[in-house]
Amino acid sequence: MSGVSDSTVGSNVSQVSSESSRSRRRGRKPLRSYLEAYAFVGLLVLAFLFFSLWSKTAATFTSTANLQVLIGSNTVVAIVALGALIPLVCNEWDLSIGASATLAGVYAAQALVHGTTVPLAILLAVAVGLLVGVVNALLVTRLGVNAVITTLGTSIIITGVISLKTHGNTITGNIPSSLTNFGTLNWFGIPRPAFALAAVAGLVYYGLNHTPWGRYLYALGSNRSAARLVGIRTKLMIGTTFVVGGAICGAGGILQVAQSGSADPNLANTLLLPALAAAFLSAASIRPGRYNVGGVLVAVYFLAVLNSGLNLAGAAEYVSDFVNGTALIAGVGLAVRLGRRTEP
Amino acid sequence: MTNNHTSGTGRPALAVTGATKAFGANQAVDDVSFELAPGQVHALLGGNGSGKSTLIKMLAGVEHADAGQVDIAGQAIALADMTPARAEAAGLRFVHQQRSTFPELTVAENLAIGGPGFPVGRGGRVHWREARRRAQRALEQFEIEADPDQLLGELGPARQAMVAISRVLFEREGEGVLLLDEPTASLPEAEVQLLLGALRRHAERGQTIVFVTHRLDEVYAVADNAILLRDGRLVDSVSPGAVSRTALVELMIGRAVEQVTRECGPQTGRPILEIEGLCAGPVGPVDLTLNTGEIVGVAGLVGSGRSSLLKAIFGALSTSAGSVRLDGKAVDNRTPRNAMRAGIAFVPENRADDAAFPELSLIENLSVTVTDKYWSRGRIRRRAERRDAERLLYDYLVKAGSLDDPLSSLSGGNQQKIVAARWLRRKPLVLLLDEPTQGVDVAARNEIYAVISHAVRQGSAALVASSDSEELSAICDRVIVLRRGRVVGEIQRGALTDKRIERLAHADPDEQAA
Repeated sequence: MSGVSDSTVGSNVSQVSSESSRSRRRGRKPLRSYLEAYAFVGLLVLAFLFFSLWSKTAATFTSTANLQVLIGSNTVVAIVALGALIPLVCNEWDLSIGASATLAGVYAAQALVHGTTVPLAILLAVAVGLLVGVVNALLVTRLGVNAVITTLGTSIIITGVISLKTHGNTITGNIPSSLTNFGTLNWFGIPRPAFALAAVAGLVYYGLNHTPWGRYLYALGSNRSAARLVGIRTKLMIGTTFVVGGAICGAGGILQVAQSGSADPNLANTLLLPALAAAFLSAASIRPGRYNVGGVLVAVYFLAVLNSGLNLAGAAEYVSDFVNGTALIAGVGLAVRLGRRTEP
Repeated sequence: MTNNHTSGTGRPALAVTGATKAFGANQAVDDVSFELAPGQVHALLGGNGSGKSTLIKMLAGVEHADAGQVDIAGQAIALADMTPARAEAAGLRFVHQQRSTFPELTVAENLAIGGPGFPVGRGGRVHWREARRRAQRALEQFEIEADPDQLLGELGPARQAMVAISRVLFEREGEGVLLLDEPTASLPEAEVQLLLGALRRHAERGQTIVFVTHRLDEVYAVADNAILLRDGRLVDSVSPGAVSRTALVELMIGRAVEQVTRECGPQTGRPILEIEGLCAGPVGPVDLTLNTGEIVGVAGLVGSGRSSLLKAIFGALSTSAGSVRLDGKAVDNRTPRNAMRAGIAFVPENRADDAAFPELSLIENLSVTVTDKYWSRGRIRRRAERRDAERLLYDYLVKAGSLDDPLSSLSGGNQQKIVAARWLRRKPLVLLLDEPTQGVDVAARNEIYAVISHAVRQGSAALVASSDSEELSAICDRVIVLRRGRVVGEIQRGALTDKRIERLAHADPDEQAA
């Protein structure tokens, strides 16, 4: 029986059979993975084309005004969806995103009405969102309460706080024009909020894909126990997802104030479901099987195109409900199937 | 050498013709045909990626076949149409690698569900007393120490496995074909013997059995016939009695494989890991010193504390007493992160639960322990990461299509190599390995042993916990044996044999003979 030689393992054993196996194992064709990644984008394009050509909507759908509204009015949902995305990477649901954004907007609007400068108000909004995130983080990681329950609970409490502060009334009046200009005007024909969205999306993309933090989050989402055993500080990382997500929702809140010139205390629920849906749907495109930034944007605008088109066609609200519900199920179904493809 | 299966015994119990399955460009099973004589134990042997697990899944209807046919009990079924229900109806009984038992239900309930079912009376009411009686009979027949009313989860993994197997065998002997996918994985020696003995008895009573295994010992102990697969094709079908071990391995792997053993004792190294009075969970107090250049084995029965000892050193299990010193300095082993930074690495026993990131790519799985190293000037240096990953795949002989493939697309053995690689690249001072070659074929095993030896020669030390005494006696400089959480003995290189390890593991410390 011979011992082990000093050279590296690679040269010890003949590579003949392993090479032939390796060439036969050259797995998925790249074409198929391209199709998977962009199928949803294709759907988006198809929907766009449909409404551009359909007699009922052709004239108005492709008008500049409509496109500007299409892009601009979905920026807040998209930003809040990005806020939901981050905890979702670790398989944690944050149901307080809508409430958090609304609360941030309420605080910011009240501050603005009382004369606070715009930059300070923006900081305030983000800080409120961040604070909500910290509370969620502590409850989920320290107390060990399930995130769904925790964030549901905090969202209800926040709704109470909003009620207390606003007595159910929308906060309007003295919102500085510098802010509302950003929310309603365009740069180079593109609504200015879209640039804010681009900035937030860029930041989140960078964080998730180009930092160790992002890597650790995806590892946590893949196998939490294994993540701990490779030295990832599980609780801390999960906590940061709620904090960062909360801050992003805060940003969404102040953008909403900028767009509408007011803070609507009942915004929470209208934001929550579309934003959460878009976050889930993100796993259906761009990086199939993984929650990702590009996928969020595709999902948000897919739903936006659908709704805009239906609206212009004068469809009753129930039609819009049917379409949204079906789109969500179909999208998530697609995401699940694509996720399964990763197994041999 | 090839068996003629139908001579003298009439119709074969099972005949498979032209089984084929491809995953994309990968031909996992390539036109495999064989026949099984009834009342015999057949072993399905093959290395990583040989297709044996896929073949079993095709027969079970769990994996959709591309082509092929099964002839059993006079029925001919196309494999492409196979479903679990059809397989069951045809008489194919499976016990898969991922056991489908229910830890939160009782033993009696487990024996009924997925097995003969509950005895019911009018209106579908379950006769619990009868169910319990049946369970008791099964437990006695298979000599499983358990109570019908015990929760299955309370039994150790070995006994759980035996319950899983007994529920398909019970009351259905002689019918159909029993197929077992690596039934002895993670079972300690004594229980392996028990299980093999039971299989042998069943075969003598006329039951046809097929079991998938890596362990050649089992093939020689109990199989009448060995069916060899390599790279998805049938290589040969031989009788173990007529073939030597080396020849069998060669058939399996397709080339001669050198058996690895430790040549000589460790160069006198300095103590690198000193453990004093360590108590954690079921293990302790334990005193142990590891020197540089050493491979020390940890042996013991299931539940003796092997895994717990390693986990405690790494900080994955909280320590209630004792100290750990690394290179003379005290180590705060409260969390894995601390242990990692001190220079300890840990390859866990349960890869699926504790080590694999299945959806993440190979690159990401490899660099998860060193991500910080690639982060500079605000970006992750992807090209360097990729280059290093390529190098690691080459060094560890990992067969993979592309670096961006998910880890789950790799075979078990290759996944294990990735896990080992991700730790060894850190050049740890102490390497803790828990069942490092579980589910890995002979060639890959030797590769992993070579890697461990190499690492240890560079100045680290390795602590290997394993239920495979043969493996420990081949690669370790010395082996400590645990029983009920305490060290009951240590065997040095010169006196190291698997029999001695087994004896020490089983012996009652009070009646220890000299």
